[in-house]
Amino acid sequence: MNVAADVASWFAQPENWRGPGGIPVRFAEHVYYSLAALALAAAIAVPVGLLTGHTGRGGFLAISLANFARALPTIGVLTLVVLGMGLGLVPVLVALVALAVPPILVNTYEGVRGVDPQVTDAARGMGMRGREVLARLEVPLAMPLILLGLRTAAVQVVSTATIAAYVGIGGLGRFIVDGQSQQIIEQILGGALLVVLLALAVTALFALLRRLVVAPGLRSRPASPSS
Amino acid sequence: MADPAHEVWAAAAPLWGWAVESARWGWQNLDDPVGPLLAEHVLLSYASVLIGLVLAVPLGVLSVRYRVVYPPVLSGVNALYAIPSLALFFLLLPYTAFSPWTAIIPLALYTLAILVPNVVDGLNQVPDHVRQAAAAMGFSPLRRLLQVELPVAVPVIIAGLRVAAVATISMVSVASLVGLGGLGGVILTYGFARNFAAPVVVGITLSVALAFATDGLLVLAQRALTPWARDRGPARRGGRGLAVRRRATAAARAGEKGAL
Amino acid sequence: MITFEGVTKRYPDGTVAVDDLDLTVPSGHTTVLVGSSGSGKTTALRMINRMVEPTAGRVAIDGDDVRGQDPPVLRRSIGYVIQQAGLFPHRTVADNIATVPRLLGWSRRRARSRAGELLELVGLEPEHADRYPHQLSGGQQQRVGVARALAADPPILLMDEPFSAVDPVVRAGLQDELLRLQDELRKTVVFVTHDIDEAVKIGDSIAVLRPGGRLAQVDRPERLLADPADDFVEAFVGYDRGVRRLSFFPARDLPLRSDVIVTAGDTAADARDVARRAKEPWLLVVDSRRRPLGWVAAEALAAAADERDVADLDLVGYGHVFTVSTDSLRAALDAAVLSPAGRAVGVADDGTALGAVAQTELGAAIWAVGGDEHTGAVSRHG
Repeated sequence: MNVAADVASWFAQPENWRGPGGIPVRFAEHVYYSLAALALAAAIAVPVGLLTGHTGRGGFLAISLANFARALPTIGVLTLVVLGMGLGLVPVLVALVALAVPPILVNTYEGVRGVDPQVTDAARGMGMRGREVLARLEVPLAMPLILLGLRTAAVQVVSTATIAAYVGIGGLGRFIVDGQSQQIIEQILGGALLVVLLALAVTALFALLRRLVVAPGLRSRPASPSS
Repeated sequence: MADPAHEVWAAAAPLWGWAVESARWGWQNLDDPVGPLLAEHVLLSYASVLIGLVLAVPLGVLSVRYRVVYPPVLSGVNALYAIPSLALFFLLLPYTAFSPWTAIIPLALYTLAILVPNVVDGLNQVPDHVRQAAAAMGFSPLRRLLQVELPVAVPVIIAGLRVAAVATISMVSVASLVGLGGLGGVILTYGFARNFAAPVVVGITLSVALAFATDGLLVLAQRALTPWARDRGPARRGGRGLAVRRRATAAARAGEKGAL
Repeated sequence: MITFEGVTKRYPDGTVAVDDLDLTVPSGHTTVLVGSSGSGKTTALRMINRMVEPTAGRVAIDGDDVRGQDPPVLRRSIGYVIQQAGLFPHRTVADNIATVPRLLGWSRRRARSRAGELLELVGLEPEHADRYPHQLSGGQQQRVGVARALAADPPILLMDEPFSAVDPVVRAGLQDELLRLQDELRKTVVFVTHDIDEAVKIGDSIAVLRPGGRLAQVDRPERLLADPADDFVEAFVGYDRGVRRLSFFPARDLPLRSDVIVTAGDTAADARDVARRAKEPWLLVVDSRRRPLGWVAAEALAAAADERDVADLDLVGYGHVFTVSTDSLRAALDAAVLSPAGRAVGVADDGTALGAVAQTELGAAIWAVGGDEHTGAVSRHG
């Protein structure tokens, strides 16, 4: 249990909370990188998923690209962009966006495709235009899956953003990387713990979001399409 | 007026040069280090997924049989999934040093977040009348599990394995930061450290190719293991959609939290 | 009035769903398209609101080609009900019903109050308004589907197998409800079903489509049953069509015999006199308020002591009765067949016995309508 005590004392040291290398700053940096990557990925993946899902066209291509992106090693993408553009925020964002796009895209697409065709048929038959079907029907009905995709991506991004430390920028990964090079185990643990806490906070946030955004008629039903 | 086709070609030419250079580098260094590191990549990822499966099946079976077990199990595997891999690798180093276990243990634990929910879903999908018929014919609970329930759950479990395998294969490379990453070693040691793009391209390409090949093998395995499902497969309308949906659900599950 | 003029739908793979269809759907009537799967009945229906576009020919509403209108605008003026209702799961019942009014730009309040009216019209309670579709039974969902289609008071209502996903009892209730609604609203209804009984019950006229999308026959239901155009239609309407056809003839013209009725309190001796005069082997015993109690056989009367009350003798159950003013020959025949006495009891609307009719008289009446289908057909809306 002395490891736990070490970690506790690491958290207790006031100097770990001060200055540009302190916990609050590192935490803010981590949140910033994660949020930026997630926002970029959502800006790409949600519209593409909605559009391919709605029209049924290009879906296979989009899903194949998502599967390809899923297979990309994050370290490789990061390294390649670093070699091209040098160290900094851009390589981290590119790598994290490549990580976050597949779950958002696949879930958005499947969410829209999974809308009961009877329901869209009824909507069109009553005189809804394509964009009305998308906005009033498909988006709200796909919302549980879209949120699930965003949450999955967010957790992965938060956990993977630690690699930012490897390309010389901040974030909670600094504690892990520096802890390793200086052989301070409690600092590695402290950094990892902070990342896990952030991931749990993200999960809780999405649970809240689900309450706010998902139509009440859907809430008592399962979140994912049951087959 | 510039010829658009020419412009496209002009833009593509460096990419082509890059590809040729990368292929040449990969071929020249096949025996060392590319081949051995690829083999290490296969070993680390396959071992992790297999161990993950061996752990996930009993966890899933327990979660289905004793429903109260499932929420804490789900929260547990999801919390594990949120731990940065880098930190786990570092933390294991003092115990497992540079043995493959340093990579395999964290990666195997990560697969649980994908595999356990899939095993549970797969088992829950066994129709009640099938379960009752098996019981009525005198199957013992264990035999029923092995001969009826698990085989019926195979498609869903394999859907989870496919997601887990692709995720693990792409994640192995991170372990190269502790000197154990298979193709990640090609990327970092030969590419990053020497500021040389060809090894990075080779590492990425082989990693993606390995992921796709493994995915293909799992599809074949599913066809071999579920001969009864073959005729109802992709030929039927919606068949493929269902498979895709299962994968999407499996993908979505990665990192999904139960009750917090 | 909706007209199909030489309408064909051929898909790119060569399948012909509808083949050269000529059909007129009169306004204010219910026209049923009936056929087995692959007969193109749904395709034909969906061409009216341009959910499907014809390859050749023309669909017109009151003479205007439907292709002259923007599909969404056209569809907002046509009610549409489908199997399993297709309700929006994320919206309350009231919001579902208010869909088209809202699309048409009605205010939220007006759409909401209209939804309330419609709930009542289709026989649902006001408290259903704020429920979600999955909280309703299948039959209730289907009612909401009908209410939603009627919300903007469209002159035309398209119904694509609307009741086929609910159980037979609920289905019969929904059919009755539709008949009642149609009585009140007089919409131009086009109704698709594969169930000939449903077609006969619902339709003012029936169009039978054969596989390959060709029209086999269009006629009023009683005509279709009396005179199928060919073997296909005959097989499709079923071999008991003769009996089913009797539903279209009223029972009110049957020669009811009231001289076979004896009242509780009469003695066996009185009853023997009645039987002798009527020359009937069975007498109907009624209570003091003329409600049927049962049949007594002439032999049982012969054996009974003179002073015994007829109501105390061994009575034979009268089975079920038919209501003279509203029921059909089919109901009367059914009552007669099921009665141990071989006679059907006809009652007034208040349940008092008017008289009895024996199978032989029924047979004569049935024989009489056999040659002349045009007179006396029951208007099921009247």
